[in-house]
Amino acid sequence: MEKRKTLLEKYNMPLSHLDFSYVETCKNAREMEKIVQILRSGEEGYFPDLQRCSEEKLKELKPNSKLFRYEEPIQNSDILDKQELKPILDWTHDIKSKDNALNELKNDVECLGLDLAPMRKPAKIDADLSSTKPSKPVKAPPEPPKTTEKRIRSTDYNKWDKYDPDEEILRMELAEERTKEQEEQKNRPDPTPISEEVLKSERNELQERLQEQLKKLSQVEREQFAEKRRLRGNEYFKSKEYESAIEEYNCAIIYDPENAARAYNNRAVSHMKVKNYLAAISDCKACLEMEPDNLKARLRLADASYAQGCRRESLHLYQRVLDLQPDNAAALNALELLKNQLGELAPSHATRLMIEELKPDAPAKPKDNSKKMTAPVAKTVPVAKTVPVAKPPPLKEYDLAELVKPNRVVKSKLITAAEALGNKFNAPTASAPKTQTQPLISEASSSLPAMLRMPQTNTKRNNKLLIEEI
Amino acid sequence: MDKPQLIEHLNASVNYTVYDTKWIPLSAKFVVLGSKANSHGIMDIYELNEDQLVKVKTVEKKVAFKCGTFGASSLRNRHIAIGDFEGRLQVLDMERPDLPVYNVKAHTAIINTIDAIGGNQLDCGAPEIVTGSRDGAVKVWDIRQGQSPVVDISPPPQMGDGINQSSGRRDCWAVAFGNTFNSEERMVAAGYDNGDLKLFDLRTLSVRWEASMKNGICGLEFDRRDIPMNKLAVTTLEGGLLVYDMRHQHPTKGFSYVEERNAGRSVGTNGVISGPKATVWVARHLPQNRDVFLTGGGTGSIRLWQYEYPDKRVVVDADGTKTGVAGTLHMISAATLSSQPVHCFDWHPDKLGLAVCGAFDQSVRVLISTKLNVL
Repeated sequence: MEKRKTLLEKYNMPLSHLDFSYVETCKNAREMEKIVQILRSGEEGYFPDLQRCSEEKLKELKPNSKLFRYEEPIQNSDILDKQELKPILDWTHDIKSKDNALNELKNDVECLGLDLAPMRKPAKIDADLSSTKPSKPVKAPPEPPKTTEKRIRSTDYNKWDKYDPDEEILRMELAEERTKEQEEQKNRPDPTPISEEVLKSERNELQERLQEQLKKLSQVEREQFAEKRRLRGNEYFKSKEYESAIEEYNCAIIYDPENAARAYNNRAVSHMKVKNYLAAISDCKACLEMEPDNLKARLRLADASYAQGCRRESLHLYQRVLDLQPDNAAALNALELLKNQLGELAPSHATRLMIEELKPDAPAKPKDNSKKMTAPVAKTVPVAKTVPVAKPPPLKEYDLAELVKPNRVVKSKLITAAEALGNKFNAPTASAPKTQTQPLISEASSSLPAMLRMPQTNTKRNNKLLIEEI
Repeated sequence: MDKPQLIEHLNASVNYTVYDTKWIPLSAKFVVLGSKANSHGIMDIYELNEDQLVKVKTVEKKVAFKCGTFGASSLRNRHIAIGDFEGRLQVLDMERPDLPVYNVKAHTAIINTIDAIGGNQLDCGAPEIVTGSRDGAVKVWDIRQGQSPVVDISPPPQMGDGINQSSGRRDCWAVAFGNTFNSEERMVAAGYDNGDLKLFDLRTLSVRWEASMKNGICGLEFDRRDIPMNKLAVTTLEGGLLVYDMRHQHPTKGFSYVEERNAGRSVGTNGVISGPKATVWVARHLPQNRDVFLTGGGTGSIRLWQYEYPDKRVVVDADGTKTGVAGTLHMISAATLSSQPVHCFDWHPDKLGLAVCGAFDQSVRVLISTKLNVL
């Protein structure tokens, strides 16, 4: 009788692979899986250490391998802490009050039945009819277009003399293109342009209907529906469909405006994801109105206003986060970053700033120079830029031209510096103007990382700006 | 341990075969439907009272109950729709169970499966109940309609149907509502014993799509009934578990899916899942997170799965047709509950992690799963 194949034979694995040294060096997850399976089967003997070793290796290579699916007998709730079980025990009390409230509503005469959707007309669907049959009968491949001219007979030499193969080829190509175009047009989904107004009126109608229905609902029901919507929104958010998520949160807020703090809060994040920071800010504020101590909302408000560009405001907002939770890592990090960007903030009673330009030092090695200089300059330059915004009172000595100037000069310095570094590559000269333009662009958009980069270019000129309080 | 764990909180032994368990919405009560030894139908209502289970009410009827649902009833009335072994569909008020609110002889044979929608949603169309039966028909009911279904999806009459009714007919084992995101759209998915899966569009009254599995389909569920179709979980005999991505339908290839062939495999040596294949009876999505679902298997095990979306859910071919891309499935947790199949399972709609399930070992269990919120 034929012997059953062992796993080793089945996988065609040399016996030498069942070895510590091989397992250590193995890089192939699939192979590792096979080794583990062989070892687990015990067909080649029982090697607990080797098995453990190879399982660990497999875990390293492929952490979610199917071989790590274990099933255990179910455990009893005794293993849970009292703490963990308590929410459920408490919940049974909460839900009972809701349950009773609903039971009372049951006798309410005014039932929802009135505005139920109309019944559909009785109909039949034939289960055995296949979906594609009736609508799209399989078409025979389109016949080649009938040519007007007749086929040239092989013996008709006169005509063959006149025949131009190139022209024929061109004609065929054109015909092909035409059919392709037609095909495409057929496949293209017919665009049904819905005007904004129609959409809007539809939405309004829906809103009205909803409000109408909501009036009939009790508080318990409204809460319930709103919570469902909010969770639905969370699901959309998780699968990164932010627009749909916002829709769901909108509904949740409409359904239960009194307890919508969480919905507002979640909608704020969704708005931030689609980079609609203004909406996010207003949502956070709405949430904070209801729950002034909501940490997440405070943090989000700060983040949103930071992203919107109101850095100075966001600084205060971050500080408000810290008021609530002094060791909030996100807020601390953001503050650090902000302080780097804004520099040491002038106290609120400070009146005026003067910026004085020092003479540039002799150009040193650009690299370590930039390292040294970034810190002080990083503080000063942005201040020069933002301070006038924050403080409208006039700064007479302040000359904006001074600010622009360095950029112009840097160009030549950079190139010379790059050349000084050696003409090994042509790249530096090419990249120099690139780095040059970058800060200018980013300055316009006032994006944040660029703010950090800008001083570097300035340092190359060793243009030191100082702020003095008068 | 930072991953979810399935824990048995309470259990109750009963003296009948359990066929379905369902939580009553917004309450700590659940309903157990079953069949007594004398094939009478029985409905027990249990209530969770802190850490004990109290039987609140028992209702007995002449015919054994097979399946039930609360989906078509509003929060105010919370009526249960029940399908029984003789093909009767009844809607009961649990306060006054003696006189059904609605009662119809829906099918000529046992109603295997039931699903309902519309009671709990605003602006989402009429409340409707769909039943699937051994007589091969799938019927959609509106209790305002009277004694006939609003949509009748039955196979055409066949030769010899008169006497021997079950002759060549398919047996419908699973139905599910889905795609109900406004007052017009609605879909019904139906799974049959021969592995056929059909998707019926109730708006256009047509068969939208069909597919064939290798084995009979035991369980079907859309991840959400009341959103545009997103995913459909299908469980089959022989341990198959498929999750279809229902967002994009390719004109010829249909919907794309991810398949887990060993979802029903039993436990082999030292807890590793490597034993023989077994039926996956049921798949139920978590009401609080549509990408997490639980399957109940023929080996008495329950397994928690998580679906992970691909980076891009759709790819466009050269000729402009869109094809959906299926994601991946991860098993998060697994536990052996019983020596008998776990065939019915219900998550509590309002409390994350609380569930009730029934197995063929004549017992009902209340389960807790921890740390579901971290997924």
